[in-house]
Amino acid sequence: MPALSGELVVFTIASILAIGFALAMVLQKTPVRSVLSLVVTFFGLAIFSIQLAAPFIAVLQVFVYAGAILVLFLFVIMLLNLSQEATEEDARPIQRRLGFVAALALGGVLSGAALRAPMPKGVAPAITPLADEIPMIGRLLFSDYLLAFEALSFLLLVAAVGALLLSKRRFE
Amino acid sequence: MTGALPGVAPMAVPPGAYLVVGTLLFAIGLAGTLLKRNALSIFLSIELMMNAVNLLFLTYARMRGDMAGQMIVFFVIAIAAAEASVGLAIFVALFRVRRTVDVDEIALLKW
Repeated sequence: MPALSGELVVFTIASILAIGFALAMVLQKTPVRSVLSLVVTFFGLAIFSIQLAAPFIAVLQVFVYAGAILVLFLFVIMLLNLSQEATEEDARPIQRRLGFVAALALGGVLSGAALRAPMPKGVAPAITPLADEIPMIGRLLFSDYLLAFEALSFLLLVAAVGALLLSKRRFE
Repeated sequence: MTGALPGVAPMAVPPGAYLVVGTLLFAIGLAGTLLKRNALSIFLSIELMMNAVNLLFLTYARMRGDMAGQMIVFFVIAIAAAEASVGLAIFVALFRVRRTVDVDEIALLKW
């Protein structure tokens, strides 16, 4: 085990925040509170990204996820005026219990597997110094991943048009 | 001061710890997906699961010293943005017709 270091302390705090607020997200009855809990979880994940030498991804996570996507969720929740989850009697208690057991089992099995997996003794040297990360991502985007990048831009356009159409159309 | 850049220093946190946190977040997201009744909350849980997987990608990218993991995460985030816009538009359209987004009430395609 490594000695107690600042990085380990930050990791511990971030993981407690991330897991705690993820649990809060699931346990909250009010959708707005769920979204706000998830914001904290995403900030924890952004801290992990920085620790894993991916600061660009961390910034993307905060801007795109915590910034754009979750704000979109908040807008829709307020638009639909969903203040509460349905409070009447649960029609499917057995299924919910089974779902809880399944999630617990999957979490146990996966984290057990993650703990037992053979880990390389020495970690590979970091990809690049941090300052070179963004130029490197840019170069990769326009060389190795050019087709995926262009397809992605087209996909975003189609999604924007589709969202517009879906929300404008009158359904019978 | 050893002069090592932050990104070049060896990992102080064992990679297994990131993997465990990622899998736990994934399981919490799955629990939310299975237990919630509000379609928006289910969608939110799915976003959490995607982010848990992103964390695993970043961990493996860091372990292997390979840029591909980070590129995949980049694409996942961009696709999640597209998915969120379309998904939320579907919920808005659904709410207009059914006046609810409770998934127990919406069983049109069942059986």
